[in-house]
Amino acid sequence: MTRRLAWLFLLVAAGTACTENATSPGVCPNFCPSDSISIKDTIFTTIIERDSSFRGYVPGYASEAMTATDVPGVVESRPFFTIDTMFTRVAPKSGDTTTVPIIADSARLRLVIVRRDKAATNLRLRLYQLPITADSTSTFASLDSYFHGPVVDSVNVSDLLALPAIGDTATIRIWGDSIRMDSAGHVLQISRVDSSLALFFTLDTLQAPFSVSDTGRLAYGVGVAADSFASVSLGSRESGGNGPTFRWFYHDTIPDTVSATPDSVVHSDRFVPVRFDAFVFNPPTPPLDSNLAVGGVPSARAVLRVKMPAFLHDTIDVVRATVILVPVNAVPGTRSDSFHILARPVLTDLGAKSPLATAANLFGTTVVHIGSPDTVRIELTNLVRAWSADTTLTTTFFLGQVPEATSYTEIRFYSSRAPALRPGLHVTYVKRFRFGNP
Amino acid sequence: MTVGRSDGRTAAVLVVLALLAAVWPSGRLAAQDSQFGIRGLGTPGKSESVRARSTGGAFAPFDAFSPLIDASLADVRRMSANVTSGTSWRSVDAGGTQASLRGTRFPAMVIAGPVTPRIVVGGGFSTYLDRSFGVVIHDTITLRGVQQPITDEITSDGAVSDLRVAVGARLHRRLALGLGLHRLTGSTRVVATRSFADTVNYRTSAARDEVAYGGVGGSASLLLDVTSDLRVAGWFRSDSKLRADIGGRTIAENDLPLMYGGGVQWHAGTQANVAGTVSWRNWAGVATIPNAHDTFNWSVGAEIGRPGSPFRFGLRGGQLPFGIGKTPTEVGYSAGLGRQFSGGRGRLDIGIERLQRSGTGLTERVWTFLLGLTVRP
Repeated sequence: MTRRLAWLFLLVAAGTACTENATSPGVCPNFCPSDSISIKDTIFTTIIERDSSFRGYVPGYASEAMTATDVPGVVESRPFFTIDTMFTRVAPKSGDTTTVPIIADSARLRLVIVRRDKAATNLRLRLYQLPITADSTSTFASLDSYFHGPVVDSVNVSDLLALPAIGDTATIRIWGDSIRMDSAGHVLQISRVDSSLALFFTLDTLQAPFSVSDTGRLAYGVGVAADSFASVSLGSRESGGNGPTFRWFYHDTIPDTVSATPDSVVHSDRFVPVRFDAFVFNPPTPPLDSNLAVGGVPSARAVLRVKMPAFLHDTIDVVRATVILVPVNAVPGTRSDSFHILARPVLTDLGAKSPLATAANLFGTTVVHIGSPDTVRIELTNLVRAWSADTTLTTTFFLGQVPEATSYTEIRFYSSRAPALRPGLHVTYVKRFRFGNP
Repeated sequence: MTVGRSDGRTAAVLVVLALLAAVWPSGRLAAQDSQFGIRGLGTPGKSESVRARSTGGAFAPFDAFSPLIDASLADVRRMSANVTSGTSWRSVDAGGTQASLRGTRFPAMVIAGPVTPRIVVGGGFSTYLDRSFGVVIHDTITLRGVQQPITDEITSDGAVSDLRVAVGARLHRRLALGLGLHRLTGSTRVVATRSFADTVNYRTSAARDEVAYGGVGGSASLLLDVTSDLRVAGWFRSDSKLRADIGGRTIAENDLPLMYGGGVQWHAGTQANVAGTVSWRNWAGVATIPNAHDTFNWSVGAEIGRPGSPFRFGLRGGQLPFGIGKTPTEVGYSAGLGRQFSGGRGRLDIGIERLQRSGTGLTERVWTFLLGLTVRP
């Protein structure tokens, strides 16, 4: 029995010994394969061709944010919005056709600052009343006079931020979170999710006049000021929760003919939606030219087509690919206006209306810094690797601002029409290893 | 023939050997691979059963289950099969760079049986060239004006196998002739990977392929019993070019060497056999491979004890075909045990081998645990 167990154990142990480790540090060239992994780094200066720009993808009133900027002599940008209609009479008794007028007492306006420069000091927002006719046809010039009129309200955001937070039980119950409030009644809340700032303005009937003839519609413009870096972005109604909100507080008096409690005053409130929001700026976005425009309002995108050399398809392995773009000039603005541009491949090349691919792993992105004329580089390694591996893919990609049309900022790159400064593709690739030779 | 019974000592030895095989620290090396073969066609396999290898290879020409020569098949009296496996631990010292490697191979299998009282047909496979290796190279290169640390890993896993169909015929009671046809086949899975320390900007490059090898060969051999106690052997083998294909396209053709050799075996009584072998291969004729060398190998060994449970030991020396500078050399010591069971219908052989290979800039030390099984149904 002992002998049999020993043999059995031997066989089992021999089986467990069947593990491999055949890799050792290479002592080259004497004890390494004759071929080695070689890498090449090439800038293809002429393979990006048939590039152009198109404008009109996202208008300013459809963007998810509105930029307010005041850089004298450089750029001014002003958001504005209109409040939707409000009922002017109420029926005190359900089912009764008798109505009574409402009397507006006050209103509360909320604006959300989704982007700001934290280095800005003495940052202030000012509200201006605009005509309710303000819409998508409004221009900076057509609204300019209203921004030189009386200020409806003004809040110093920097001062509010410096105040201690109020977090007592009653405040939390009403506001849902701690707040900061100044002596004028402006309230500020800092989002725990994205650090955006929610600003609440309490407007009296002079600041928010309730006009029956206008069915309660109002329009406001927002101006920004600061010691420096005066630029913020306000959430718009397309942002999904960060848009302006407007809440009327009103009362009505119940007549003695319809109620058991005649002449009693009923107080109530109602949110009214924002009817329209957008922003205007000066100087306006210049028209498209022979360069590649990305950004602006309405948003412009650039399409670049890459003529992949055959050898990039079948004999190499791309390890890094970078698009090189030379700006025509630096983008003006404040430093917090720096923005992302995104390179996205297309599913098929239909020109300006090419459907964009949704595979995010193929996207490339970079930040365009305000005031910097430096060459812009976008890493497109995954995309070029995909093109290299699959010859059926359309080798075209779009450049667009992210998010689009939220700012006046636009960058222009030299196109293939400028031979010395045209876009290039910097590709680092590993040449195919020659297997089979000793 | 009697079947010996094991005592407790045998069991203890087996257990110790098994433990060595199983619990030896991982990260050691490997069968008959050698770093010397990386820059050549590979590392030549040993066409030896465990029995022959335990005697340093000296018994290979006289062992029907060693696929070295074909004439020895004539000694097979009934349908039999033998399989050999080996697990090796190899330490490599290349100019101060040390590594420990480990691997397991099944380097030989032979099946043979008589078709007439004088003619035995056999076949099987053995490793002709082992091409399993992996090297890792760390370096720093300049890319886009920046120093980038990189790591290259080149691995090859596979071998060129020798499929053999052979006939051993006893032409005379003292003379046996063997002829064999060899088909060289096999493949290696090869991978070359370059990875970058900067994984944010650089993707790992990996190239994979499978290299298929092909070739044919022929062998002839003789066994002559000079006296009832003295036997001599001689053999010769020639192969075609070794073709390497990737995706059906031939990418390389390399000459293969002629091989010839001789051996002598002496029955020094009923419980002792002694043998010696020499062989040559003209690898230097492989003109396409730089630093290829002709090789000469020798071995002596003995088998002592009852035929059912012999003890074996041997000594081998010689040269390796590939290596820069002077011809690399190899010295080995081996020992082993055999045990018949089931009335002689089966036999289990175990062996242990110690090899040391030395060449310009590289020294390898190899321990190999061998396990062989022979079945006669």
